Amino acid sequence: MRNIRRVFRIVLFVVFGLVLHYALPQHDVVRVVNTYQERQDLNDWTRVFWARPDDQSAELINRDVQFIQTVKRKTWLLGFIPRDATEVMVYRNEDTGWSWPFYFKFDTANLQTEADDLVSTSETPKWAVMTHYGWRNEYLSAFPNAIAIRPVTGPDVTIIPWFNIGFFVVLILAFLFLRAVWQQFRERTLDPLADRAGDQMDHVSADLAERRSRWSRWMDSWRSKK
Amino acid sequence: MFIRLMFFGFLGLIVLYAVVSVYSRSVRREKLEDWWEEEPVEGKTREAYIEEGMAAYDKGLRKKLILLIFVIPPLVAGAIIYLIN
Repeated sequence: MRNIRRVFRIVLFVVFGLVLHYALPQHDVVRVVNTYQERQDLNDWTRVFWARPDDQSAELINRDVQFIQTVKRKTWLLGFIPRDATEVMVYRNEDTGWSWPFYFKFDTANLQTEADDLVSTSETPKWAVMTHYGWRNEYLSAFPNAIAIRPVTGPDVTIIPWFNIGFFVVLILAFLFLRAVWQQFRERTLDPLADRAGDQMDHVSADLAERRSRWSRWMDSWRSKK
Repeated sequence: MFIRLMFFGFLGLIVLYAVVSVYSRSVRREKLEDWWEEEPVEGKTREAYIEEGMAAYDKGLRKKLILLIFVIPPLVAGAIIYLIN
């Protein structure tokens, strides 16, 4: 039973982490090579990797999507080891509109123009920081969605992910709050109920009192292990 | 799309508001009980003391601050819309 619960928790944690990794903004140092537009089929499950810019697009089975082709500085290996290498990265450029994930992005055309303006060659590179969310997967034809681009002087810029810092602070606070709510609810509502129920059962028979201890053992399984 | 977001967002905020206000009331009541345990007021029953305290809470600023739950998320969304576009 304990193992099942542990597995369940790990799976939940991993899924939650994956969703956050997909949806939270990340920053890449890029050099824009080209932009293009291509018709995309949207009629299978990989639809989840494309945005829903507006109501009509929800039913379309194909539509034109804008893309930004870049050469990107590789991010630090595992987030710790710097490496001086580049790779290619292609971003899609789609409105997210009023739907998930909630970037409320409506300026796709402007972003495409900014990207066009930053097109450069490897001889005279113009570096920029691309904010994006999503994953690149060649086999599923999934592309990260570009959110914003801003020019920077060189490829060695320090990026502080302010939004993500704030997001995780709020997430931790929300978790602590929910735990406090649950503890309060248990202490003030569930435990008195269980106590009263337990008292009655004590009067009825020792046999039922045994059930009460099972109940409290079950209650214990909700408590944090000390 | 917009209407759907508004609808479910508002629904979520109502649930959050209900949870927070029930929690806040419960904490206040517990505090009043604790204060009574520490220092009972002369010539007043425990129940009356707690009911008075809860009535003061119902009129107080703290309870109205919970209404910020309906204000802050739209402001955050507005800020995101402004910053992204």
